[in-house]
Amino acid sequence: MKNKSNSKKILYGGKPYNVPPGGSLGLLALGNIGVRAWKESRDNYLEKNPIQREEKK
Amino acid sequence: MKKRNKVLLVGWDSADWKVIDKLMAQGKMPALKSLIDSGVRGKIATMDPPLSPMLWTSMATGKRPFKHGVLGFVEPDGQGGIRPVSSRYRKVKAVWNMLTMEGIKSNIVGWWPSNPVESINGCMVSNLFQQEKKGSELLDVSNWPVAEASVYPESLIDQLKDLRVHPLEISLNLISPFVPDVLKMERQEDQKLMILSKFLAHATTVHAVATELMETQEWDFTAVYHDALDHFSHGYMRFYPPRREHVEKEDYDLYKNVVDGAYIFHDMMLERLLGMIDNDTTVIVVSDHGFHSDHLRPISIPKVPSGPAIEHAPYGIFVAKGPGIKKGEQIFGASVLDVTPTLLAIMDLPIGKDMDGKPLTSIFEGEKELKYIESWENVDKYGGELLDTANNQTSNNEAALQQLIDLGYIDDVAQGEGGSDQIKAQIKENNFYLAKSYASAGFNEESLEILLEIEDKSKPDYRILTDIVNCAIRTKRYNLAKEYIAFIRKAKVLGENQLDIMEAKIQIGMNQPMEGIQLLNKVLKEMPDSIDLLMDLGRVYNAIQKKQNALDCFNRVLNYDPENAYAYYGKGLAYLRAEDYENAVEEFLNAIERLYHFPVAHLHLGETLALMKEYQAAIDTLELVRTMMPRVTKIYRWLLDLYEVTENEQKTREYKAILSKIQLGTKTIISGLPGEKLFQALESLSNKNVHIGNSKDVFNSQVLNVMNPDWLSEYTGDVIYVPMQYFGALNAKFEYKFIFIKDEPEQVMDYMNGLMKMRKSSFNPELLADLLNLEKGTMSWFNQQPNLDISYINDIRKLDVFV
Repeated sequence: MKNKSNSKKILYGGKPYNVPPGGSLGLLALGNIGVRAWKESRDNYLEKNPIQREEKK
Repeated sequence: MKKRNKVLLVGWDSADWKVIDKLMAQGKMPALKSLIDSGVRGKIATMDPPLSPMLWTSMATGKRPFKHGVLGFVEPDGQGGIRPVSSRYRKVKAVWNMLTMEGIKSNIVGWWPSNPVESINGCMVSNLFQQEKKGSELLDVSNWPVAEASVYPESLIDQLKDLRVHPLEISLNLISPFVPDVLKMERQEDQKLMILSKFLAHATTVHAVATELMETQEWDFTAVYHDALDHFSHGYMRFYPPRREHVEKEDYDLYKNVVDGAYIFHDMMLERLLGMIDNDTTVIVVSDHGFHSDHLRPISIPKVPSGPAIEHAPYGIFVAKGPGIKKGEQIFGASVLDVTPTLLAIMDLPIGKDMDGKPLTSIFEGEKELKYIESWENVDKYGGELLDTANNQTSNNEAALQQLIDLGYIDDVAQGEGGSDQIKAQIKENNFYLAKSYASAGFNEESLEILLEIEDKSKPDYRILTDIVNCAIRTKRYNLAKEYIAFIRKAKVLGENQLDIMEAKIQIGMNQPMEGIQLLNKVLKEMPDSIDLLMDLGRVYNAIQKKQNALDCFNRVLNYDPENAYAYYGKGLAYLRAEDYENAVEEFLNAIERLYHFPVAHLHLGETLALMKEYQAAIDTLELVRTMMPRVTKIYRWLLDLYEVTENEQKTREYKAILSKIQLGTKTIISGLPGEKLFQALESLSNKNVHIGNSKDVFNSQVLNVMNPDWLSEYTGDVIYVPMQYFGALNAKFEYKFIFIKDEPEQVMDYMNGLMKMRKSSFNPELLADLLNLEKGTMSWFNQQPNLDISYINDIRKLDVFV
C-alpha cells in the first residue's frame, strides 16, 4: 500500500474532493493532476480489494 | 528587458462551427465561448487533399505539402516497408525550430506527425507517445514501454510515462457521458465501445502531458494537438441527430450523444488549460478542416484510401484571444497556411517570404508592424535535430498503422513478404496527394506530370484518371482529356454521368457551350440533386447570359443547401449581367454574409454599386477588394474611374501611376455582329498588312479557351478579333481599345443565312433573337466596364482612322 500520496489534493466547492476509484470525465479533463489522483485512488482501492484486482487481470 | 508574453496553441482536428455553435448556444462549451467573447473567431480554410498530417504540417510551417514534404498517412521506412508518417520527411523548418533559433522555449505535445521528436529549446512529446501496442500485446497494460524517440528531453520519460492512460483503463463509467446506456451493454460485445475507449485514452494522455509540461517546465510557447475530435467524428457522426433513414434506430439511440460528448470533453480540457495561464498569454484554438454534421453528411464512404476524408468540411475553426487582439469580432479569410506566419507576428518575429501563408493582421487591434526575412531555411542558427533512432521498436508504429487502417485512411498493409506491391501502392498514393497539392495551388502542369507518371492502365484508379482529365482540361490539352475519357469509359471505372460531365467541360472549353449544356442537362435528369452539377450548369448559363436558366440552377442549389455562398454569387452575376442591379446587390451581399472572404463577390458588389452611381459605397467596397486581390488590375481601373468621377485628384493621380506600373500593355480588339461588314473590315485590315490575331481560329470555330485567364497572351498582332460573347473573359491585366463594327441584326441574319446555304431573305426568328440578345448583352457589358475606350464604326471606310 502506498503510504504517501504523489498527487495534489483536488478541491471541489472549496472542499477536498473524494476521488472515485473508477475516475470521472471531470478528473480526466483536469489533466496531470486528475490522472494522477484517479490512478492513485484506483490503485489504493485495488490494494484494499485484491479480488477486484484479480478479476481485472 | 521586456517580458515575453506566452502563446498557447490548441489544435482540435476536425472541429467544426456547426456543432460548436449549437453546443455554445446550449451553454455546453463555456471555455471556448469565454475565449470567443473576449477575442476573435472565424472560419479557417483547409486545403486539398484535406488529410490531417499534411495539413498540420502546413499549419506548423506555413508551407504547402509540395514544399514541406509530408504526404499522406504513411511513408517508406527505408527498409522495404512502411511506417506511419513521421517528422523525418519534413523538409522545412517548423515553428518550434524557428523559436529555438530565437532562444524561445516551447512545449510541443502530440503534433501529427512529430515522431521522432526534435532536440528543440524546450520539450517535445510526439504523437506516438500515447499509442498503445497492437494485437495481443494490447491486453498487457503493465508491459507498455514508452515509444522510442517520443520524448525530448529523454530525462522527462519517468515524469511523463505514468500520465499515459491505456484504453483498457477506461472504465464504463467514463464512457457513460458519451453513451448513457453503456452500463446496460456488454463492452466486449461492441467494437465501437473499444474504439471510443481508445480515443478517450489518447486524448486524456495528450492533455495530461500538456498540463504537466505547462505546470513544471519553463515555456514561452505551448502547442498541443488532439486528433480525437476527428476520430470521434469519423466513428460516430453518422449517428448524430437528426437520424437519417439508413441509420438503424437502435444504433442511433445508443450513439447519438457521442459527438456532442467529445466536443464537451474538449471544452472541459480547454477550461483546465485556460486556468493555467495568465491574462497576458495569447490563446489560439484552431482546426484543420470542418466535419459535415448535417444533410451534407455522405451516406456511404468510398472504399479507397483516404475515403473517409469525404466527410471533411472545407472550413475549420479559428479562435484567438490575447493582448493586442480584437475582442468580440469575426475575422475572415484565414487559411491553415496562415497559422505559423500569425504566430510569428504575435511573437514579433520575422515571417519567411517563402511561406505560402500570410499573417492574419485583421486579428490585431490597430496596425501590426510585421517583419520579414527571405527564409527561415537560411538562418544559420541551431533549431533542433531529430532524435537519433534505431527504428527497431516497431510495436507502436504497427499499432499506429492499425489505427489508420481501422479509421479507413489506409488499406490493410501486409508487411514483409508479399507486401511489396502494397508498399508500392502506398508510395503511389503519396504521389497522388503530391499531385493534388500542386493542383490545389494552381500548378496544373506539375500535377499532370506526376499523375501521368503514376497512372497505370493495368490497374485503373478512377481518382487518378479523373484528376488527369481535369488537369488536362485546365491546361487546355483537350485531346489528352478525350483520350483518357475514352479509356475510363472502356475500363468502366467511373459512371457514365461523371464521364458526361467531363465531356461537357471539354465542349465548354472548346467554345461549344450549347453542346456542353445539352450534356449537363442530360446528366441532371439522372442526378437532379447534384449541387456540383447544378453549379456547373448555372455558371455556363451565366457565361452565355441566359439569366433565367442560371437563376433556376442556383435556386435549386439553394433549396438543397441554403447556405451555399457560391449559389448566391451566381445569382448576383445573373442579375448583374441583366442590369438588374438592386437584385444583384442583394445576392452578392447574401454571398458575402455566408462567406466573407469571397473576393470576387466583393468585386462584383463594388462594380454593381458603381453602376448604380453609389460612388462612395463602391469606392469603399473596391478599396477593400484591393486588399484581398492586390494583383487584379481591373480593381485599380474601377477605382481610377470612381476617383475621376468623384473628382478626387490625388487618388486619380495615385491610381494612374499604379496602373501604368501593373498593366501589361494595350490590346486593340475588333468585334461586332458576325455579318458582312465585320468580315469586310477584317479583310480590309489584312489587305493593309495589319496583322489580325486570332481571326482564323474563331471563324473556323477552333479552340478558343476563354477559361484560361492567359488566353489573350497567345494572340499577338496589331488588332485582335474577339467574338462578342467572349468579352467577359478578357483578362484585366491589359488595357483595351475596342473597335466595334455596327451592323443591323437583320442584315447579319441574311448574311449568315447565306453562309448556311439558305435563302438569304429567309426569316430565321431564332437566329435573329440570338443576334439581338448578343448585341444587347454586349452593350450591357460595355456599360459595366470601367475606363473603356470604345469606337463604334458604321462605315468601314473610316476604319483607317482607328487602326
